[in-house]
Amino acid sequence: MSENEKKIKKVRHTASGPRYKSSVGDKVFMTVNITFFVVFTFLCIFPFYYLFINTISDNDLVNRGVITLLPKGIHIKNYLALQNVSDFGNSILVTVSRTILGTALMVLASGFAGYLTTKRKMWHRSMWYRFLVITMYFNAGLVPWYLNMLGLGLTNNYWGYIIPGIVAPYNIILVKTYIESIPAELEESATIDGASNMQVFTRIILPLSKPILATIAVFGAVGNWNSFQDSLILMANSPNLYTLQHRLYVYLNSSSNLANVMQSGGQVTAAMLNTKVIQYTISMVTIIPIMLVYPFMQRYFEEGIMLGAVKG
Amino acid sequence: MPEAKTKTRPDGLYILHRVAILFACAAVFYPGFNPGRITTEISRYTSLLTSCLSYESLVGNLGRVLTKGIVQRSTFVLLMCASVVILIGIILAAVGGCMSVGNGLMRRKGLRYPVIGSVLMGVGLVGIYVAYTQIVAADSKRVPPNISGGFYLFIVLAAVILLTSAALLLRKKDEALEEKMGMKEEYHLFLLFLPFLALAFVFSYLPLWGWRYAFFDYTAGGTLSADNFVGFKWFTYLFQNAATRKDLFRVLRNTLAMSSLGILTSWLPMLFAILLTQVNSKRFRRIVQTFTTVPNFLGWVIVYAVALAIFSTDGFINSFLKNFLHVQANTNYLMSSSHMWIKMLLWGLWKGLGWSAIIYISSISGIDPALYEAATMDGAGRFRKIWNVTIPQLMPTFFVLLLMSIAGILSNGLDQYLVFSNAINQNAIEVLDLYVYNLGIGSGQIPMSTVIGMAKSIISVVLLFGANQASKALRGESII
Repeated sequence: MSENEKKIKKVRHTASGPRYKSSVGDKVFMTVNITFFVVFTFLCIFPFYYLFINTISDNDLVNRGVITLLPKGIHIKNYLALQNVSDFGNSILVTVSRTILGTALMVLASGFAGYLTTKRKMWHRSMWYRFLVITMYFNAGLVPWYLNMLGLGLTNNYWGYIIPGIVAPYNIILVKTYIESIPAELEESATIDGASNMQVFTRIILPLSKPILATIAVFGAVGNWNSFQDSLILMANSPNLYTLQHRLYVYLNSSSNLANVMQSGGQVTAAMLNTKVIQYTISMVTIIPIMLVYPFMQRYFEEGIMLGAVKG
Repeated sequence: MPEAKTKTRPDGLYILHRVAILFACAAVFYPGFNPGRITTEISRYTSLLTSCLSYESLVGNLGRVLTKGIVQRSTFVLLMCASVVILIGIILAAVGGCMSVGNGLMRRKGLRYPVIGSVLMGVGLVGIYVAYTQIVAADSKRVPPNISGGFYLFIVLAAVILLTSAALLLRKKDEALEEKMGMKEEYHLFLLFLPFLALAFVFSYLPLWGWRYAFFDYTAGGTLSADNFVGFKWFTYLFQNAATRKDLFRVLRNTLAMSSLGILTSWLPMLFAILLTQVNSKRFRRIVQTFTTVPNFLGWVIVYAVALAIFSTDGFINSFLKNFLHVQANTNYLMSSSHMWIKMLLWGLWKGLGWSAIIYISSISGIDPALYEAATMDGAGRFRKIWNVTIPQLMPTFFVLLLMSIAGILSNGLDQYLVFSNAINQNAIEVLDLYVYNLGIGSGQIPMSTVIGMAKSIISVVLLFGANQASKALRGESII
């Protein structure tokens, strides 16, 4: 492993190329190149900065459209005021709990199912494995899926967020591939020592496959945190079960109505104007956790996409 | 683990026994087989499991009937308890069913569970019947009594399970039983894996059963019967009805146009990666990579929030024009239908470019440095090396991703187009996924949207296998 890392480091060093003699053409190229990346990176960050300064600036100034580049009259009342937004607390609760519970169950299930699929002794193993994998390549369509969930009683029901996500075939494949790369001798010697399948799984496989489990966990957590479609379709009649993104969507729509009113020269009330600030603040609440966690998790995300590329 | 010594010759009685138990387990989830639908006022979407778990959804439509006292609340409490008893019975039967793949001793010991389980099922069914008689006694048009097919089905299932296990118990004990309970490892592993298979079945295969709606004249809340069976009416209607045909062509045009734009620009992440790796400063590369990949991890709703903050009437652009250039500016850039396809492409790139580039960046760092050294020896400059070394090395990755995006040409996803759609740009933004959503969930035209979803699924699978075949033919490697 470490040898591999060294190799990669060495390669990275050379991949950026030997330092070129600075000809004029080369200087121009590098300048244009770096300018492009600076501009693109700026475009990726600035919107979030803009949202942020508008949530911490004086609300009157925000509503007059004065806050453009720098915050003025800094306060955090908007964040505190979110507790008055109807069902916002529920949305936080729903989103946080499904992120934790949904991810944990998915990771455990993927780990165990991935382990089981490596067991050649299983009765008709390859058939059942195919049965699982094939589900990645087709789906019945949105409406049959919805009617199925309706039939199972999982609409307007918190468990509708959790149970369908437990079995994730793609993650099971990733775990299976990873476990197959663990030397079989480890498992064999444990079995000879009398360990049961369960013991082999909890004592040997689980600790050794931590890297892959961490990778699928971060992807699963982000997916749950950003979940919108299932909330929109399944929980339509239960506003107390909306996820954060769904709640934000509702607010954004009321805000675009506000924009329509303003464009047509209609009267705008103070309460309507406030939706803009609330909408920015909810956006920030949704964004900030990901922004905070991302730099630490980046490694796992990048490993994850490479795993996807080499899966068998 | 001691291996079972008994012969594993298939035994007709055991197979009947297991099939009955398996069927009972499946019926728990399926609303059509709910034995507890004692009045037609109970939603047709309530399965036995739902009746056990949620009293609210059981009496969902009956609120007024209950408050008026036409039927007693106790009737439904009884119904719920009876359903729970049946569920426990089925769980016990399932335990026995699992044990029936063990060795002789385990089988014999396991048989007591289906016996108890089927008796419990019987008790529960009696409870349901009592609740039913109470409904009949109420004799009100508001709560029409009903005995569902599921009720008879469960009587039959309970009887079969009871009789088969009794017969198996009473069988001559001609074989010597083992001293310890055990199970062949192959079956043990399979039983451990079974819950995952069941979940996959319920959430991925069962929806296919919903395709039958495409052949009926069905409206939400209605029923499927021989009366409203219409065969392929909706399939032909799609093309014969001028309005639908027009809609469909418009939607397909949007879908194909936006997917094609995506495919035509699919080389951009590769270019991004190549250009970024040309920068010498590692820290610069790191920072760019971190910040450009962040938008990928924020959902489309957030992207729309960003779009509103920047481009709406009181957004950044207008505020910038007013405050710094002192221009009167009140345009809402999102309320326009011009260049919708390009705009959607640009939002997609803003969100995904940095992230899609990572796979190429990693591939570039995996290229053998000897190739670059050799090229330098031959006098190749920066661009020669990119053209003759880097790009050929990245081609396999590019090719796989290209084939995948061609296979997914009909699936643009729903979120992006839903959040950006409004009354003004609807015609230009509506892609197939959004159309199906608007038609099926929005307007409740279930058969029609099922037909379109079916066609989409089938075409997508065909495209995927086509892409796979192409990959096999061209590169000798499959992509799925």
